[in-house]
Amino acid sequence: MKLSSRELNDLVILEPKGKIMGGPDATVLHDQLHEYINQGKRKVVIDLAKVDWMNSTGLGILISALTTLKNHQGELKLANVTGKIQSLLTITKLVTVFESYDSVDQAAASFK
Amino acid sequence: MKEDNRIIIPSSLNYLREVDEFVEEKLQEQGINPSLVADIAISVTEVVTNAVCHGNKNDPHKKVFISLKIDKDQVTVKIVDQGGGFDPRHLLNPLDEKNLLKEAGRGVFIVKSLMDEVKFEVVPNNGTTVVLVKKLSEII
Repeated sequence: MKLSSRELNDLVILEPKGKIMGGPDATVLHDQLHEYINQGKRKVVIDLAKVDWMNSTGLGILISALTTLKNHQGELKLANVTGKIQSLLTITKLVTVFESYDSVDQAAASFK
Repeated sequence: MKEDNRIIIPSSLNYLREVDEFVEEKLQEQGINPSLVADIAISVTEVVTNAVCHGNKNDPHKKVFISLKIDKDQVTVKIVDQGGGFDPRHLLNPLDEKNLLKEAGRGVFIVKSLMDEVKFEVVPNNGTTVVLVKKLSEII
């Protein structure tokens, strides 16, 4: 997995790319998220448009991001969830845990 | 170490990507539907992760053996570790409300959802063998 990020006003958009399967992937997103939290950022969108698939480690990384932000009074939204990931979120019932949107713009507009 | 349809890795998740590339390349060579390739690749990375972490307990002296058999109607993947034996019967239910926000514990559940057959052969103190079967009837 490769990870890039950008900021839009007070919003952070994380853009992973490739496959999220564990090993070195496990810490990359976590470390980047903590950097932003330390800078006072609390509104984060993970744009999954360029993620081919993820396994349970990838789902764990998303859950870790969600709980980390909640613990800092922040919010996490998902955008552009691709078919393979959507089906994993559905079969694991995590679809009930994450807020997801069809685009980054829609996710951005959903923050209060 | 790579052979024709087999790859052997040390017990480290740093080799997970190499396993995925090996498996996906072999399946793509046979023209298998990309969605099925992804299902098999996801499942293999789950089982190899368990073999490295829970089976071999990250012991660098132990290895994980992954072999692939591609037939006309199905793909069979066999993953063998050298650990103390991983018992899949004692897993938490990841769909239970109290487990939903746990970061780990979904791997075997996902594998069973994606594959057509999943067999565990546990030999106490002599490793675990997991056999995954995916039928190819969905090929377009």
